Amino acid sequence: MSSLRGAALAGVLSHPAIWRGGDCAPEPAALPTGHAALDHALPGGGWPQGGLTEVLLAHEGIGELRLTLPALARLTREGRAVVWIAPPHRPYAPALAAAGLDLARLIVVRCRDLRESLWAYEQALRAADCGAAFAWMNVHEPRALRRLQVAAREGRTWGVLWRRPGQRGSATAAPLRLGLASSAGRLAVHVLKRRGAELPQPVLIDLARAPGAPLLGRAPVAASASRLLTPVLSPLHAAGEPAGWPPPPRRATRG
Amino acid sequence: MAAAATARDARLTMAPSAPCAAPGALWLCLRVPTLPVDVFTRAWPVDDPLRPFVVSSGGHYPRVVGTNGAAAAGGIVAGQLISAALALVPGLATRDRDDGAEAAALADIAIVVLAFTPATCLAPPDAVLADIGPSLQLFGGLRALVGRLLRSLRAQGYAPLLGIAPTADAALLLARAGRVQPVLELAALPAALDDLPLHLLDLAPRACDVLRAAGVTTLGAMRALPRAGLARRCGTAAVTALDRALGRIPAARAPYAPPLRFAARLPLPAPVEDTQALGFALQRLVQQLAAWLTARGLGVTRLTLTMVHEPHMRLRGIPSTEVMFALGAPARAVAHLQGVLRERIARVALPAPVEALLLASEATAPLAGRNLELLPGDEAHDVAVPLLERLRARLGDDAVTVLAPCAEHRPELAQREAPRSPAARPPAAAAADRSASAAARQAEALPPRPLWLMDATQPIAAQLDRQPWILRDGPERIESGWWDGRDFRRDYFVAETPDGALMWIYRDHRYGVDDGEWFLHGLYA
Repeated sequence: MSSLRGAALAGVLSHPAIWRGGDCAPEPAALPTGHAALDHALPGGGWPQGGLTEVLLAHEGIGELRLTLPALARLTREGRAVVWIAPPHRPYAPALAAAGLDLARLIVVRCRDLRESLWAYEQALRAADCGAAFAWMNVHEPRALRRLQVAAREGRTWGVLWRRPGQRGSATAAPLRLGLASSAGRLAVHVLKRRGAELPQPVLIDLARAPGAPLLGRAPVAASASRLLTPVLSPLHAAGEPAGWPPPPRRATRG
Repeated sequence: MAAAATARDARLTMAPSAPCAAPGALWLCLRVPTLPVDVFTRAWPVDDPLRPFVVSSGGHYPRVVGTNGAAAAGGIVAGQLISAALALVPGLATRDRDDGAEAAALADIAIVVLAFTPATCLAPPDAVLADIGPSLQLFGGLRALVGRLLRSLRAQGYAPLLGIAPTADAALLLARAGRVQPVLELAALPAALDDLPLHLLDLAPRACDVLRAAGVTTLGAMRALPRAGLARRCGTAAVTALDRALGRIPAARAPYAPPLRFAARLPLPAPVEDTQALGFALQRLVQQLAAWLTARGLGVTRLTLTMVHEPHMRLRGIPSTEVMFALGAPARAVAHLQGVLRERIARVALPAPVEALLLASEATAPLAGRNLELLPGDEAHDVAVPLLERLRARLGDDAVTVLAPCAEHRPELAQREAPRSPAARPPAAAAADRSASAAARQAEALPPRPLWLMDATQPIAAQLDRQPWILRDGPERIESGWWDGRDFRRDYFVAETPDGALMWIYRDHRYGVDDGEWFLHGLYA
């Protein structure tokens, strides 16, 4: 009797509209991130296709784009467009091509103001062929965020909203929010919000070997620079402490 | 000469025994008696009861040629003097009759009909004839075909009267008489035409007078007359006209061929000051363009929209505002074209009110009808184009770019950021491919590059003063460009900031010194 009731209960609970606190909501379509540890932490096992992902950054340059590159490369190779709206710097083609992106599918859109960026972002999210739409913009208005989320869901597009470095998050309509920080040479991904139970520990991802990463630890070879730098640097490398070399002398005048 | 005349008379005397109409032919006549008004009012979404409007004949004593619903409700009828009409309805708007626009409108109707049958001809001043007999099966019967055709025409703002008969002339007569009931059999034709008034037939005025004097008022009465006598008194043309209508002798009509270039003008009933208000008129033009593209089997790649200003602005040297459109791929879907046009004109500031719109095709390319997809994902390739075009139309061509690596050692020049051009010319694309593959070969030999490049290199001496950065890789000496004046000599390093970010920085050695200033050039984001 009780097993019958249990089976009936399990049948009800397996309904896609119901998810329980202990586990993650079923994601209809997820895009593998290329990092197994992160896949495990995200609902559905990957980036949500058909949802907005909000990313808070501690600092720029800690590997935030490297984290997304495997998924982007996969999307472009499948022939789907990737749209970057209002990037803060110039995306650098040689590095992106080396990471395996099909550059013909990467569309960079520059906008004059927030209104244009919002419009372009919504269009990109809604477009059926657009696989991923990244936008760097300072939008907090709940209505605008909700609208973007609806657009991403309808267009089945992976939308990433990049916040300015150091910015703290407010309430958001995005179903997934990540906080990125650097931790001892690795990238710490704090899953701040997801459709599922809270994740207390950050996911640590080693991006040193990921596409787009620089080679590290090669000894300086140029004589002119090493004359000044190498003696200061070598103990640092051994200790691994961020103390550092003295800054180079500044030149007051130029010849 | 005399012998020839006798022979002709003899032919006329005997009625041709076998019908000459092509078997299976069924002619549809679309007659638009309100054409003089329609050419103006179809730029309005609905017949506005508050905007009485008439078309005047012009001249010294202008008369009303046609009215819209609001003017007719005010008691204005065709043929009235304009002065009398103005007395009846004080706020009446009038425009002079535009024969050119009417002829163009008739051609537009023919272009729409061409989507249903290639045998389409004009019957000026206000009718289009089409042989729909061979198309009936394809479109699923007479009712379905006529319904679809009428929907297409109503979408363009025309409400035609129909006449359907086995011969073209009979269809025209039925449409003129307002007989909607189709006549499908040639044998039933005489009975259907017999009670039509005689003036519907295109007869010479003298022939009309003779017949009226003889008390002949209907086609049936005319048909009953002896042919030889009728030919002698009214001319052979009268007999021929009757024979053609009844299908006794063949009637050759020149088929209508759509023009090689699309150019349509839509006069607006009232001047418009805001581009937002042009949306509906634009929709009409786009539908017209789509019909033309369908008829010719083309897709459009470049378009010009001209917004014609009022005459006093023309005198001041601002005749019109022109907007060019370029599309990524040949297109003819109404929704697609309309979306692109709407976004593009939203950015246009009008210097003066607009009186008319002119849409013209500048470049077209063959576009075959698309097959339905067999497997899911078959047409994924084509769907991105509308997004690109929407973006380019609203943000400008330069705002939407794609990147390509170049074979060049200087980091700033190692990529090309080009506007996402719709029709990349094949040679240029091939050259770009060669350059990209050369760049790929070069990239294999070089240390990894950063994902972000700074727009301008930033001096970082102040940041290094506060807290030093650790050099993790380098130096990589890049020295190049003595030939074009943008030469430099730099040592690039990968540096780690105290926050754990990886930066691409360099020391500038341009002036021959070995400890130049530090600059930030990229981020390993």
